[in-house]
Amino acid sequence: MTAESGAMTTPVVAVDGVSVRTRDRTILDKISLDFSARSLTAVVGPSGCGKTTFIRTLNRMAELTPGLRIQGRVLYLGQDVYDPTVNPVVVRRRMGMVFQRPTVFPASVFENAAFGLRLVRASEEEIDAAVTEALQRAGLWDEVHSHLDGPALALSGGQQQRLCIARALAVRPKVLLLDEPTSALDPAATQRVEATLQHLKEEIVVILVTHNVGQAARVSDRVAFLHSGHLVEVGATADMLERPREKLTEQFITGRFE
Amino acid sequence: MGAVTGAPPLAAEDDLRRDRSGHLRGRTVLDRCIGWLLPLLFLVAIAPILDLVYWVASRALPTFTLSIITTNPSGAAGGLLSPIVGSLEILLLATLVAIALGFFGGLATAEYLDEETAGAIRVTANVMVGIPSIILGLFGFIVFVKYFGWGASLAAAGVTLGIFMTPYVYRATDLAYLSVPPHIREAAVGSGATPLQYLFRVATPIAFPSVLTGIFLAMAIGVGETAPILLATTPVAIPPLSLFQPASALPLYIWSGFENGLILPVAIHRAFQAAFLLLVIVVGLNVLVRIIAARSRRRLEGLFQ
Amino acid sequence: MSQPPVAGPAGGRQPLPFLARLRAGIARWWPYVPALLPLALTLAIVDSLIGASRLQNFGAGFFGFIITDYGILIFVVGSFLTSVPALVIAMLVGLGIAIASTTYLPRFLSEWLDPFVDLLAGIPSIVYGLWGFLIVAPFFGHDIFPTVAPALAWIPGFHPSFNSPSLEGTGLALGIIILTLMILPITTLLMRDALRSVPRDLWESGLALGATRWEVARHVAIPYAKRGIWGAAFLGFGRAMGETVAVYFVIDQTARLPTNIYAPTSTMASLIVSSIAQNLAGTDLHFLAEMALVLLAITLVVNVAGRWMIRRTFTDVAGL
Ligand SMILES: Nc1ncnc2c1ncn2[C@@H]1O[C@H](COP(=O)(O)OP(=O)(O)OP(=O)(O)O)[C@@H](O)[C@H]1O
Ligand SMILES: [Mg+2]
Repeated sequence: MTAESGAMTTPVVAVDGVSVRTRDRTILDKISLDFSARSLTAVVGPSGCGKTTFIRTLNRMAELTPGLRIQGRVLYLGQDVYDPTVNPVVVRRRMGMVFQRPTVFPASVFENAAFGLRLVRASEEEIDAAVTEALQRAGLWDEVHSHLDGPALALSGGQQQRLCIARALAVRPKVLLLDEPTSALDPAATQRVEATLQHLKEEIVVILVTHNVGQAARVSDRVAFLHSGHLVEVGATADMLERPREKLTEQFITGRFE
Repeated sequence: MGAVTGAPPLAAEDDLRRDRSGHLRGRTVLDRCIGWLLPLLFLVAIAPILDLVYWVASRALPTFTLSIITTNPSGAAGGLLSPIVGSLEILLLATLVAIALGFFGGLATAEYLDEETAGAIRVTANVMVGIPSIILGLFGFIVFVKYFGWGASLAAAGVTLGIFMTPYVYRATDLAYLSVPPHIREAAVGSGATPLQYLFRVATPIAFPSVLTGIFLAMAIGVGETAPILLATTPVAIPPLSLFQPASALPLYIWSGFENGLILPVAIHRAFQAAFLLLVIVVGLNVLVRIIAARSRRRLEGLFQ
Repeated sequence: MSQPPVAGPAGGRQPLPFLARLRAGIARWWPYVPALLPLALTLAIVDSLIGASRLQNFGAGFFGFIITDYGILIFVVGSFLTSVPALVIAMLVGLGIAIASTTYLPRFLSEWLDPFVDLLAGIPSIVYGLWGFLIVAPFFGHDIFPTVAPALAWIPGFHPSFNSPSLEGTGLALGIIILTLMILPITTLLMRDALRSVPRDLWESGLALGATRWEVARHVAIPYAKRGIWGAAFLGFGRAMGETVAVYFVIDQTARLPTNIYAPTSTMASLIVSSIAQNLAGTDLHFLAEMALVLLAITLVVNVAGRWMIRRTFTDVAGL
């Protein structure tokens, strides 16, 4: 499977000439990139190249940072998420997000997973069903189903991170954005999160920011390489890691960087 | 690539403009309303300050003359010389006492005690800050006025107020030395500085501005306090000639005006003029604190480059 | 307890010379002397009050006696009647301000507005008293209470005893208002710090789940900052109980329980200053010392509880 065959189906997310600037510098420069259903794209690049900023522009989290100017279009199933008539709250529900460090709320495991559903006053049965399903999809159910009412902060770091994934999945987003989700985890926990992602990409669009080329190789179908705000190269994982077209890409994946 | 034009209509769950839950509108409106209403609560703080400053100034300034600060009070009239001088004398004595009692404790807690002991001892200082000032006043009366037999005097008032200010100086010193960055300490010790050299040549120059601002803040709090000195001295008309004579103070002057009813216009004006002078002293000390803090921040930034 | 940085008498078979041992002992223990001064002063205060009271004659059972039979009870009640409403208002307003400045306002605006709250803390108590007595009391007595009182009369305790409430304006209601202003800075500051300690990631993950700012504040930030908020409540309450001069000026100090919210009353602290104002004979001093002990006991308990809560918050944050 190649990147080109993915583009033939309707993209779930289409990034169209997105630039992000501060007053005195350009953080992202005219990025265009499509994400089609049931795919896992790894966004890689050296530290500070704009990976975090890039995924934060997709679900309108970037606009929470004062002083950032965002230009261009991000289309979710053909609708511009930056359209003034679109409420960012809705955008963020459709595109879940997981952060670098686990960010569980000071509440029980169950209430963490139920957070997004409580906001829209879902019924108890709905919440029960959705929480169970989300914990299963996140590969956490077997470990926590006996103590759902226990404090989430008592879980291990890896479990907390998968709970954060479950929490995002419970509102059934079509897109899941992850910002270096394993960088604070040990190898065993990392492996479990990666296994979870392998399952998820069969169902939804997964966009994974990572600075770890090995991780990209293990889990992604496609790799996008960012360098100082430019999209240098994007291609199927195997092609790109074995036969990079650009010199910068080759330098990065062979580790001759920094 | 790009938008899907002319595609079949979106399913409800995919349409960003349609809300499946039905609550979105209410939630968004609630958020907006709260976003407008909560900042209005700042008025609860701002309006009284403006009102208070306006009234104190408008009652104090029209009849303010230089003779008010150069003559002693006589009855309800006269000037404010002895309260001003008394306030400054009491404050000076109190500051010396507070530094003597508070500085070394803060230094020891920050520099010479282990984390756990220091944490527990910090709680005791913080709890002492919470002791009502009237209780300190009673303590000063029982111990200094009666037991030591100093009588109503400048000394009793100064020492009592100094004890009141002690935990503030203690906390400021503690925080100041605690905020010396650990890498600087390591560098100093690593390059062979003795503990005393470290203390005098490295830590103290860095911590000093913060200690100073802490002392000024304690003075700003102390100069306006009435209760600690109320029992320790009496509002007399002339400045004291020795430590063991009573000294008046600006808060005491207002206090005795209130006790005498504040009926005569001149008494009301003097009370507001005393309050105005107190505000000026307090604001002045606070401005001083800001200036020192800003300067030392600039100096410290240089240190880290 | 950690090892002292100086060489102790470790390992040596033959006893160290006396002077060296003394030096080592001093180097090890001197920091405790100044560091424990605040505690020692606190204990000295307690001791002096016990000495001046009749507690040593009658034992601890005396407390029950002075509170119920001896008439302190009405002042304890008076203190609670002023402090609790003031605390409730100051906590609600303070929480609102804290949320506004941490959640809704842009940085430059909150940096500009926050100092006003701090300024409220800098105004001396006696200046509040003077302003409250000469400016606010007549205004409330003439303009506010007569219009507001009939509308609120249905609430128990809000019915003025005469047809029009006191034209003076002084009394319980004004005491509560002035106290609220005086403790607003401490509650606001502590809650603002507590909310600031909520990690940015936690805020953002709430928003990323499609919550509004208010929902994140309500369901994420406040639960996270719970301890700090409780600490603010305890410390604010301690402040309110101990506040003396300003309350005395505006409460129309009268040694009886208020019949309604406009009525004069008395708190423990205001009673102590009013006795001072009259005269200080030997018998009075016993009574004042006993009253001060009750007040001190209450404020120490709430302060220890409050500081403990806040300390726990900080260690939690550091541990995260
Ligand atoms: N609010 C901001 N104001 C100014 N510059 C910013 C801001 N946010 C990010 N930047 C800059 O934008 C660049 C990209 O930041 P970003 O966090 O997206 O990088 P990253 O690729 O995620 O890095 P890392 O791998 O370290 O997480 C950085 O150079 C950063 O300094
Ligand atoms: Mg990043």
